[in-house]
Amino acid sequence: MPRASSGSLSRRSLIRGGLAAGAAAAAPMIIPSSALGLDGAVPPSERIVVGGIGIGRRGEYDLGCFLQQADVQFAAVCDVKENRRNHVKGVIDKHHGSTACATYKDFRELLDRDDIDAVLIATGPNWHGLMAMLAARAGKDVYCEKPCTKNIAETLVHRDTMNRCGTVFQAGTQRRNLPHFAFACELARTGRLGKLKRVYAHPAGMRATTSGWLPEEPAPDSQIDDWDMYLGPAAWRPFNARTLADGFNFEKGGGLVGGGVLEWGSHCADLCQWAVDDRPPPVEYAPPKNDELVCRYADGCELVFREKGWIPLGSCPVRFEGTDGWVEAGDSGKLVLSSPELLAGRKVEEIGGYPATFHVRDFLDCVKTRGKPKGNAEAACNAHLACHAANIAIYLGRPIKLDLATYTFIDDEAANRLRSEARREPWHA
Amino acid sequence: MNQLTRRNRTTIGMIRFAIAAALMAGGFTAEAAPTPASSEAELIAILQGDGPEADKALACKFVAVNGSAAAVPAVAALLKNPRLASWARIALEAIPGDAASAALRDAAGTLDGRLLAGVITSLGVRGDAAAVPMLSGKLAAEDAEVAAVAACSLGRIATPEAGLLLAGALEKAAAPARLDAVAEAAVLCAANLHAAGKSEEAVALYGVVRAADVSEQRRAEAIRGTIIAKAREGIPLLVETLASPTKRLANMAVFTARDLGRGDAADPALAAEVDQAVLKQVEFAAAGGRLDRAAILIDVLAERNAGAARESVVAGLAAMSAAANPKPLRLAALEALGKVGNAAVVGPLLVAAADEDSDIADTARAAVSALSGDAVDREIVARLQGADAKLLPVLVELVGRRRIAAVAALLPLASHPDEKVRVATIVALGPTVDLANLDVLVVAATAPKSQAEGEAARAAVREASVRMPDRDDCAAKLAAALAKAPAEAKVMLLDVIGEVGGTKAVATMDAAARSGDEALADAATRLLGKWMTADAAPVLLSLATAEPGGKYKTRALRGYIRIARQFVLPDAERAEMCRRVLAAAKEDADRKAVLEILVRYPSAATLAVAEEAAKLPGLEGEAVKAANEIRAKVQPAKKAG
Repeated sequence: MPRASSGSLSRRSLIRGGLAAGAAAAAPMIIPSSALGLDGAVPPSERIVVGGIGIGRRGEYDLGCFLQQADVQFAAVCDVKENRRNHVKGVIDKHHGSTACATYKDFRELLDRDDIDAVLIATGPNWHGLMAMLAARAGKDVYCEKPCTKNIAETLVHRDTMNRCGTVFQAGTQRRNLPHFAFACELARTGRLGKLKRVYAHPAGMRATTSGWLPEEPAPDSQIDDWDMYLGPAAWRPFNARTLADGFNFEKGGGLVGGGVLEWGSHCADLCQWAVDDRPPPVEYAPPKNDELVCRYADGCELVFREKGWIPLGSCPVRFEGTDGWVEAGDSGKLVLSSPELLAGRKVEEIGGYPATFHVRDFLDCVKTRGKPKGNAEAACNAHLACHAANIAIYLGRPIKLDLATYTFIDDEAANRLRSEARREPWHA
Repeated sequence: MNQLTRRNRTTIGMIRFAIAAALMAGGFTAEAAPTPASSEAELIAILQGDGPEADKALACKFVAVNGSAAAVPAVAALLKNPRLASWARIALEAIPGDAASAALRDAAGTLDGRLLAGVITSLGVRGDAAAVPMLSGKLAAEDAEVAAVAACSLGRIATPEAGLLLAGALEKAAAPARLDAVAEAAVLCAANLHAAGKSEEAVALYGVVRAADVSEQRRAEAIRGTIIAKAREGIPLLVETLASPTKRLANMAVFTARDLGRGDAADPALAAEVDQAVLKQVEFAAAGGRLDRAAILIDVLAERNAGAARESVVAGLAAMSAAANPKPLRLAALEALGKVGNAAVVGPLLVAAADEDSDIADTARAAVSALSGDAVDREIVARLQGADAKLLPVLVELVGRRRIAAVAALLPLASHPDEKVRVATIVALGPTVDLANLDVLVVAATAPKSQAEGEAARAAVREASVRMPDRDDCAAKLAAALAKAPAEAKVMLLDVIGEVGGTKAVATMDAAARSGDEALADAATRLLGKWMTADAAPVLLSLATAEPGGKYKTRALRGYIRIARQFVLPDAERAEMCRRVLAAAKEDADRKAVLEILVRYPSAATLAVAEEAAKLPGLEGEAVKAANEIRAKVQPAKKAG
């Protein structure tokens, strides 16, 4: 009989390695300033100077998580929209009690600043991948909202760029730093569920889309709304206020295979990837049938994007099934287990509402230690590859097979042509 | 291929509607717009016609997926159009074969500015080696943007010739921005050369970057690339860079050291040498008072050795955890030992676990808790015998934290004369005790010897009970204890039974609610009111419809309504529950709550109940409204079926 978990194995102990054998990889140790004789104060040399780019509604939430950290100095904000630049500057200045936060319309000027250590990128998905790479080449560490890339080719280059530049990269997959999701993934990863048979992700939509070309309208002064910079790497189209206002959906995934499972998949499929130990993505993808899109890993385990049949545990549910048991978790902070024995005497803290605070802290710790945060570039790469490949199967309406040696599709030219898309000139990575 | 294949056309035809709808929603022209099913000839006609730009743009997208060389001229003609060039490049980057590359090369001879930068970028993406001579010429272009993308494309093409060109450009470039762009391309080129097995060429090119007057970031990238490409011969450079006073370089070395010799290209010999090099750097940093750097390097060692540590690493970390060392170094070493240690380090860790400094003691205990392996468990249990008064509670605590199945060793300690030991034992039994010995905790919880013992036992009973594999057996045991427990402990046990759940737990709640004991009845109805499974419904209804005057009838009825509203139930069952509530409810609020449930779950069954409710005095209007809402939702489904 399934049972909801309760109790209080703390997020800190769970995430930072307080578990016994098989614990999740722990974050590196930061010596507390108290141990250094600083009475808890953060010395200037230990402060991380951060700049924010594209801070809209989601970005402002992330910004709040950064500002909660005593060792963060938010020094600059960039936005193509003047009203957003000024609003966010106000938030930051109020927090720091100064007027020092600089504003930029062109993010390259922010990246040129030597004093900025890291950037928070919360633009629309059109810019995520390229901007993260340009930040990395400028020597900045990067916390970037998801989805992080537009297509398979960009995903691979993104991962390689982060490695080549020595960048600490954290995708905005904050559920990796929540105890109940971490515990569920650990059960799967460490064999407590037996041999894994299926991992389920909730895509909340499985329709491939592409961003359109709305009727031309008079463009505003570029100091107020910079349309050219908003378009960035997206193919050119005339100014339209609706397109400008919908940065959340504009060019979410490239080619003809945007949307689809990418929005929520970059969270849910990411958790499934963690459950299978962040292995390379599935090798086979079938188009949706009966509200399910089934992908298969090289060892036969299946990644299933499933719309229905979830236990009501809130948004972003995942389920992991093995030969010896199963676990399901969602944004309510609760777990349901096939057997209470899976708890093995442990208690898992319930943190609902998927806060990003812990994820931001994980990132900042790694900025200091050059460690790998939970949503690191390699992990994000594998999850995004799975989502992009699934979207290609949706668009083509036929099964496709991915060769993990080359990350190309086997005997399917159309699928391979959908792996990448040219960026608008002059943008390049 | 002038026509899409039949198979593609059929497949695409199946998705035509969905895609067309998505595109139209995005604003592409609706009438004559290209679709996924358009033939290549139709797409070419659109590209060459006088139609809307939006249609041409969309045609480029479809050509990118299915077009051939036949479409290249029509697409390439758009490269000089600033509004459509980016769409044209989407197609030309994707179409296989030399026709598309040739068109891009030709365009490079006629374009300038952004448009030229675009076609140069596309040639790089296509890896067009035939473009190398043209790109070489563009390295010195007056337009810095064009020069930068030319360098980048050479880096992508990454032939040895491209590498030589970039090396030459590095020696010639003067302006810092230009120099850095070429350096970036050279690093990319070198990485690609290394990936292609040309490590010597890669190292040489990295060397040119390192020698040039480039930014710290480019130099750091070149150093990382050199270390990786040179493998074991790169270790001296790694060591040198780990000790660099330049933060960016030292950080890059740490980043590099975390993975060197591990992962997909694991090289055990290289990994061992890297470990030794990092160990030495820890000592070097500590000796120089750079404890923060030493701590980070210790973490690098821990990450590199997680799961399979080398003995030399474990020994080195154990030495750093010794009391003579500075506290920050000890803390880092202790935490690292928890990740990579084995049974051999239990002894030193236990010494630290009993340290007077609580930071040290806590970190050491966490480390012992995290150590992997059954041998560690055996070592801890063995040390219980004969442990002194200071260490015994620590060992007991660790048995609990590691959830070691050592109940037989713990039970005698539950009656130890030292309260510290007794409390630690109770806490440790929470995650370890089996059902047969659960009574030990029940007794400690219901008849504690001290306040501290009682608090620990109450938490432990709960912790143990909810993890028992057979919840009914566990509930039965607790119910038996409940019957004999002192009055002040009964509610506590009932709460635990509620958390256990299951058939026996529901029956126990039912009995408690009817027991005549006011406190138990209160607790039982409270717990049933938030029950997590629907099997509490019959008991709640029974309590709600008990003899007149029952104090908790309303509470029970609302608990019943909650189940009808929140749980996954068959339509007929939910409807029947609503019918029963309407029959039992005395208050308007409860009857209206039923109407809300009926509307929330529209079905033929709930519609029937709503229609019945319309006959109830005082509910007519709202019930009719509810029935209409349900009917509106249900009837279209009937037509479709």
